Amino acid sequence: MGTLIKQELYKLTHKKGTWIAIGIMVVLQIIPALVQKADSEFFQLSSLISNDYLGGGLYLFIMIASAASIIAMEFQYGTIKQLLYRQYYRSQVFISKLIVIFMQLVVLKVISTIMTFTLTALLFPSFDWDQKIEGSQTLLQLYFLGMGGNVLVTVFLLSVVILIATLLKTNAAAITSGFIGYFVSMAASSVLLLLINKWHWLRFNPFSMLMTSSQIISPDMSQATLMSTPLMITLTFVYTILFTFIAYFSFRKRSV
Amino acid sequence: MANLLSVQQLDKSFGNRRVLHGVNFEVAAGHIVALVGPNGAGKSTIMKAVLGLIPTDGGHLTIDSQPVSITSHQALAHVGALIEYPGIYPFLTGKQHLELFADKENRDTNMTQIVEALGMTSYIDHKAKQYSLGMKQKLGIAQALVNHPKLVILDEPMNGLDPQAVKDLRDYIRKMADQGTSFLISSHILSELEKLADDVLILNHGKIVQQSSMGELVASGGTSYVITTADDASAKTALMAAGLQLVPAEKIMIRQQNEKTLNQVLQTLVNANIEITDVVKVQHDLEESFLDMVNTPTTKEDK
Ligand SMILES: Nc1ncnc2c1ncn2[C@@H]1O[C@H](COP(=O)(O)OP(=O)(O)OP(=O)(O)O)[C@@H](O)[C@H]1O
Ligand SMILES: [Mg+2]
Repeated sequence: MGTLIKQELYKLTHKKGTWIAIGIMVVLQIIPALVQKADSEFFQLSSLISNDYLGGGLYLFIMIASAASIIAMEFQYGTIKQLLYRQYYRSQVFISKLIVIFMQLVVLKVISTIMTFTLTALLFPSFDWDQKIEGSQTLLQLYFLGMGGNVLVTVFLLSVVILIATLLKTNAAAITSGFIGYFVSMAASSVLLLLINKWHWLRFNPFSMLMTSSQIISPDMSQATLMSTPLMITLTFVYTILFTFIAYFSFRKRSV
Repeated sequence: MANLLSVQQLDKSFGNRRVLHGVNFEVAAGHIVALVGPNGAGKSTIMKAVLGLIPTDGGHLTIDSQPVSITSHQALAHVGALIEYPGIYPFLTGKQHLELFADKENRDTNMTQIVEALGMTSYIDHKAKQYSLGMKQKLGIAQALVNHPKLVILDEPMNGLDPQAVKDLRDYIRKMADQGTSFLISSHILSELEKLADDVLILNHGKIVQQSSMGELVASGGTSYVITTADDASAKTALMAAGLQLVPAEKIMIRQQNEKTLNQVLQTLVNANIEITDVVKVQHDLEESFLDMVNTPTTKEDK
């Protein structure tokens, strides 16, 4: 298993795209920070910071692309046979890929967070992380709470992307559906909430789980989603595991 | 000698289509076994089954006495393979491909050895996306061989290789086999296999129709004589009248049945007063035996 993880990391780190993506993410954090420094009215500083200077948000899209390609590239490059004929169980091959994807997610999140704190310390040294925004929580607490919710929803979304990549075996299809799924459900979340209001059972549908991160920061949303925050978090986990299992079962007996 | 690979009663269907029918064969340690058969006969399918890449519908596969299936792969620890076409990561160099797949022990020596043996030194540090067809093929073969596996499965390894590369590969395979590695190789270039293989499996429509050593197969193809005369038409009539079996061909071709065949033929012609201008002895090679084997039923119906 260690060998498999090392091999996956080897492939990932030898792709130029991996590094370019990190570079772009960092640059897209620096630019808004400098703009804000030049014109303090341009963004609202606290929201700029809690959004990781905008660029940090890119990690979601990097991860969608990366998760899709870690599975689909083996089919596209025809390397899947070499990968699977060896002494390892297919489950090990599959899990090693999941682990590496998760490692990449953590690394990106750590980089964007470090950038956020560094940029804030350098450019806006007087920024008060302890200020209270709404209720009793400080900005720092909300920042980490938001991050937790965001990672949770990202992992959920990635499970869908991995499922599609495993079923369709093509990069483009998985990436496109990841992006479209994300944007459409963001755009349509108000419609979804209306529908949930009409047919209550709809609240358990997987698309609702894309709102988990919003509800974690603004618990009042539970009135619209008709689910408590703990329930939503649990369901997000359940769906993630479910989709991952379906992906695994389709991968397990696949003829290559 | 112990059999390294054993395939027993292997059945495989894709949907309703039965592709393999109770395939049985063995590969002995240190032997090079050729798997030949027409397009679509099921060669790649057998190889994929042996590598646990596809589910099978019945039969028993073992490597080194350990069972192999899509869900049990332990026995494949010492197996190297190239199936159908090489899988190449375009963003890695040739060397990085080998690094990725090479076992830790003796990694550098193993890598250098195979790269030199296949003549890949000049481009091994280039990105694989710039490789030509043959360069990719060599890289795929190198990946299969780099860890000195006990069993190597190569599906049409000569694809796209130039004559020098074919020779280099043949020499290297021979060397590895002499050191105890077993090979199962499919190819359509029968003249190559004839130089290389110890044993031959002929597969047709998902069944093994012939299994023997290369020497036996070539010998069984037998000897024929092609005879040219001043008057071929009368010669044919005379020979048939004498009860001699002619091979259906434009020229006069006679298969040797026993030591007396040639003498009989010549005598018949001399007695019929037909001038003999040339006699050529033809030793059947693998290609002809192969064609006979896979075409037998249709040839009989035709004539
Ligand atoms: N994934 C698949 N789905 C359906 N049928 C398949 C599949 N793979 C192979 N077949 C069928 O199985 C038969 C054997 O195919 P296989 O690839 O083993 O032939 P082959 O002997 O390797 O031929 P070739 O010399 O052309 O490589 C063919 O008739 C083919 O149509
Ligand atoms: Mg084939």
